[in-house]
Amino acid sequence: MRKSYIILIVLIAAAIGAIISTYGDASTYENFNVAAENPGKEYHVVGILNKQKEKYYNPKQDPNYFSFYMIDEKGEERKVIYHSPEPQDFERSEKIVIIGKMEGNDFKASKILLKCPSKYTDGQVKES
Amino acid sequence: MNEIVFEGERLIYGNLGHLAVVVAFGTSILSALAWAIATNRNDEGWANIARKSFHVHTLAVLSVIGILFLIIHQHYFEYHYAWQHSSRELPVEYMISCFWEGQEGSFLLWIFWQMVIGNILIRTAKKWTSPVMSVLMLSQIALTSMLIGVKILGYKVGSSPFELLRNAMGNAPLFKRADYLSKIADGNGLNPLLQNYWMVIHPPTLFFGFATTIVPFAYAIAALWKKDYTGWLKPALPWGLVSVMVLGTGIIMGGFWAYESLSFGGYWAWDPVENASLIPWLILIAGVHVMLIYKHSGNALNVSFILILLTFILVLYATFLTRSGILGNSSVHSFTDLGMSGQLLVFIMIFLWLPAFVMLETRRHKLLYIVAFFVFVLGLIAFEKYDTTKWPLIVLGLFFCVCSAYLLVKKVPTSPKEEEVYTREFWMFIGSLVLVISAFQIIMTTSVPVFNKLFGSNMAPPSDVIAHYNKWQMPMAIIIGLLTGIAQILKYKKNKQETLRKMLIHAAAGLVVSAGLMFFFELNNWFYVGLLFAAVYAITANADIMLPQLKGKAGMAGSSVAHIGFGILLIGVLVSSANKKVISVNQSGMMLNPDFDEKANMEHVYLEKGKPLRMGDYEIEYISDSTEWVNNYYQVHYKKIDPKSNKVLYEFDLYPNAQINPKMGLVANPDTKHYLFHDVFTYVSSVPKEKDAGKFIHETKHEINVGDTIFTNNGYAILQQVNSNIKDGKIDMSNLQLLLGAELKVITLKGEHMVTPLYGIQNNAVVDFEEVVDEARLRFRFTGVNPKTGKVTIETAEKDTSGEFIIMKAIVFPWINLVWGGTIIMVIGFCMAIIRRIKEYRRIGIE
Repeated sequence: MRKSYIILIVLIAAAIGAIISTYGDASTYENFNVAAENPGKEYHVVGILNKQKEKYYNPKQDPNYFSFYMIDEKGEERKVIYHSPEPQDFERSEKIVIIGKMEGNDFKASKILLKCPSKYTDGQVKES
Repeated sequence: MNEIVFEGERLIYGNLGHLAVVVAFGTSILSALAWAIATNRNDEGWANIARKSFHVHTLAVLSVIGILFLIIHQHYFEYHYAWQHSSRELPVEYMISCFWEGQEGSFLLWIFWQMVIGNILIRTAKKWTSPVMSVLMLSQIALTSMLIGVKILGYKVGSSPFELLRNAMGNAPLFKRADYLSKIADGNGLNPLLQNYWMVIHPPTLFFGFATTIVPFAYAIAALWKKDYTGWLKPALPWGLVSVMVLGTGIIMGGFWAYESLSFGGYWAWDPVENASLIPWLILIAGVHVMLIYKHSGNALNVSFILILLTFILVLYATFLTRSGILGNSSVHSFTDLGMSGQLLVFIMIFLWLPAFVMLETRRHKLLYIVAFFVFVLGLIAFEKYDTTKWPLIVLGLFFCVCSAYLLVKKVPTSPKEEEVYTREFWMFIGSLVLVISAFQIIMTTSVPVFNKLFGSNMAPPSDVIAHYNKWQMPMAIIIGLLTGIAQILKYKKNKQETLRKMLIHAAAGLVVSAGLMFFFELNNWFYVGLLFAAVYAITANADIMLPQLKGKAGMAGSSVAHIGFGILLIGVLVSSANKKVISVNQSGMMLNPDFDEKANMEHVYLEKGKPLRMGDYEIEYISDSTEWVNNYYQVHYKKIDPKSNKVLYEFDLYPNAQINPKMGLVANPDTKHYLFHDVFTYVSSVPKEKDAGKFIHETKHEINVGDTIFTNNGYAILQQVNSNIKDGKIDMSNLQLLLGAELKVITLKGEHMVTPLYGIQNNAVVDFEEVVDEARLRFRFTGVNPKTGKVTIETAEKDTSGEFIIMKAIVFPWINLVWGGTIIMVIGFCMAIIRRIKEYRRIGIE
């Protein structure tokens, strides 16, 4: 067999491996119910902040503990715990993407992405 | 309805600017076509027309840039671009950054570079000028059309940088007024993250890199067009190397910018935006290596074509990823969609379609292929009405790819002989393929949001992105490192037994050195050790090649220098990330948290002003804060303490800053202390929401004589004298019956201050004017005089600092200078290689 064929086979195998790995490692956008059914498995959950309930951050006591209540896209609400300071501008976010897993009744977020549609780019014209 | 006549607008600039855009667009079409005709007919007349219209094009592009800059510089806020991306107090150097905050400006930057490159090519490309320039101008048509900003059949084509604010935001009631412009006080301002020195130079470099990838692509197309399948390599090679160098520099500058001014703590995060520019770079490096293989062995010519063509397509794909808004939920970068993703897709399709088109022989085939393009595009638009998924795009793209690949394999001559294993070219080829696999893996994961759009799926990026990429990229880096050494030692075509012996010596030397380094760096993961060995081996082998070259043949040393730089870069990446240490972990031993299990996450410390905190081998203290322009700087004093003797080894101050931006909230910029062998990186992750700036506590009255001393917690003060001859411009002197000043000398641990609080009687009422010593956090008031005893009453108060704190995170990056140093050596190597290949190219003319 020619060497080029061997190389080609290895190449294709690696490519297939890369594709499988992308699918295998990919997380999915899910809701709290799915996350609760598979505790310990990491998901992306999209939702909004429940502004009626208290969000808790007391840096003097513990700068690495922030909790809040989020309502996912199905309307399910859970307490979310995040071991980092409260992200700035948290309340102004329109949509929150949390990445993490369910532990008990709480969702432990390892990462929080805030979606602020009014980020920097489309402000309002200010009159003087 | 009456037309409103708006006052004060300077419409002439916008009209001129728009005219210049249209001229630039028109001349790019004209010159692309004229050069195409000149190519087909070998006609000087058409080439002349093309050249002239290209000169006009150059002028038009420069005018567009000049006018846009004028509008930003003069704060003509009637223009949306100036209003949105700048503000009055913005320093001039950042006005340049305004260009690349907006999409239109960044396309303009790309257009500018491509125009500059075109001007170089028409002077140096010799017989290749016509076809190469024709392709370059095709790309220029695509880019300038992004600035046109007109609607055709309901589709928005391009977005003009000269759009008026009142048109862009037409619904606001403000724009019903004729004098609206006088009501707009200031622009929206530049994103604070871009207000950074590196952001002034990183985007132009990166875009110059993007722009250069058109040149090898254009040469490859020209070669297929003119059926001169080998002559393009020599002129294209130096351009390919320039592209590798500039794009690589641009990417690493982006990393440096991220490290210096973003707070994620590092220079690389596998963010889709970073990946988007890394992918074409990897493919281009593979392409340049395969070109060299052909040059020396006559093999793999078709692979060179494929990789070089692919590079530019991937640059377009990168643009699509970052400019279409498709990355939305997966990237920290916020990019707005100007509704031009369709237009960008069309460009990708055109450039995928082009290679096969130029290879088709007969006019009938070409016509059919053109028709096929339009049928497919129309079909796609029709399909969109029935289905939300967009999978036919993939089919279309693959169809063009297959056509191109089929014709390439058929037309481009291949060498019948089989590659020998004991040759440089064989292992170079394997190395290039590893780079391709590495790029492919990055494309797959980066494109997850694209797959969701294409197939309507619901995938999210891996939860642990870094681990996912490292799993693939680390073994790749090990293989690349090893091959960098092996392939460089081997010679092209034939090798003797001696080479094998050399290789073994290098491997043995590498083994010894990396074993030593393993203990020195305290690496305990076998992957890390493997990577360390590969990098050290690469450096050893290349140093052995370089040293003899330096005597006399230094011009040849480019590749060994670049590869040594790469090896150093690998070690830097390895050590700075494997041994990166978050030092801001709570070390008080107290258990503050109800769920302490995830100790790894507790990476932020609470630091109250004036209260030192022990953090690892450092003692830190938040000293003070100051404001400069819009930034708040928090002075944090670091003392490095020797854990054994508890002595202070060295101390330094860091000033991480936070901009409380009205639109974005807190924007933190880290500060880093750079040492030769490690960096201490610090950023503020949170500050108190509202500062009780004026709050003073512990108010105490002291009745004293001249010469007496007052003691407070923050220092002491001596009353020097009571002065009745006060000339103070700050206060209203009318109807003053009495005014006295108490001259106090305030002594603190850090120095002395003179303050004079005032006491007076004005309009028959007692008044007093306080003095504050910021540094001592003390306030002094002169509140009374006892005429009998001659004693005066001074009230002291201390500033309440309990509300003043910062939450901060600190990381030590060991050996990060190897990353920057390795990159610089690599760039030097590229420059040497470029000079060598340009010389080779010049020689063609002489031979």
